[in-house]
Amino acid sequence: MKEPSLKEIEKKTYMSYHQDGLIDIFVGVYILLFGSGILLKSVTDFTTWFVIPAIFPAIMVPIWISAKKQITMPRIGYVKFRSGGANKLTVIFIGLLVAGLGVFMAFTFASTTQAWASALRDLMVSYSMIIIGIGAATISSLFAYTMGLKRLYAYGLLTLVLFLTGHFITIPFEYLLLTIGLAIIINGFVLLMQFIRKYPLTQDDKTIAKKSL
Amino acid sequence: MIRQLQKNPSNLKNIDRLIHEPTRLMIMTQLYVVESADFLFLQHQLQMTPGNLSSHLSKLEEAGYVEVVKEFIERKPHTALKLTKKGRCAFKEYQQNLKQVFSDL
Repeated sequence: MKEPSLKEIEKKTYMSYHQDGLIDIFVGVYILLFGSGILLKSVTDFTTWFVIPAIFPAIMVPIWISAKKQITMPRIGYVKFRSGGANKLTVIFIGLLVAGLGVFMAFTFASTTQAWASALRDLMVSYSMIIIGIGAATISSLFAYTMGLKRLYAYGLLTLVLFLTGHFITIPFEYLLLTIGLAIIINGFVLLMQFIRKYPLTQDDKTIAKKSL
Repeated sequence: MIRQLQKNPSNLKNIDRLIHEPTRLMIMTQLYVVESADFLFLQHQLQMTPGNLSSHLSKLEEAGYVEVVKEFIERKPHTALKLTKKGRCAFKEYQQNLKQVFSDL
């Protein structure tokens, strides 16, 4: 009856609502599109590649909500989570973003005047793959811990391993993104299939869902 | 253990019997950790039959611990269940009282 056990129940509830794999599919598609954009830029003269991942959330979020309503809600029902957890996550994310941006700007400014900063920048460029890999794994683990979605640890580890490998055997950045995106999408579909099998639509569920809606 | 309880039985008397029933405790706990949930979600989450869940929810609703919220999600009516302020307070109090009972043992 201690507070941590309630937190565990909250995490378990959150996990059960996201066991359908839909979030994985959409995150995977996003990473895949990001990788495709960079690949397109390197193959063709498509300079506005960054537009694809930028407009993607606006298109995909309504589709994700609709998929949630069509697939998840009729099977396991609807739950609205308290804003506390989401707020905490948003604060962490925005904090990290602002801190990262601040460090980046300070560093960019310093690198124009300071020799050490310029040398450090060159060093960071040389080890960018390792830095990105560690950064992505950290962010992924942070989300995994806060949301209770343990598979995010696996995604973080996969990203770290791939980027480390990419650094040592020189694999282009876009191919790494395509591999990670594809792996997440495949896992998402596996989870979706498991979810549909675990919660088949029974006549009772349809009736209760209809009554609730 | 029984002697300890006999020495200070007031803590046991403070335990809310409506919440203390295992099934209702499960419902209260589940609703406590979320903002609201619908009947189907509770049924799946707690592995209960519709009849059983419905009868316990009625008791909690009668006590003013649970409220039925009729809301609209994308212009479609939706029935959600949530703990009232009274329900949240009662659950918190139940938690504290139970802790007290065990710490007295």
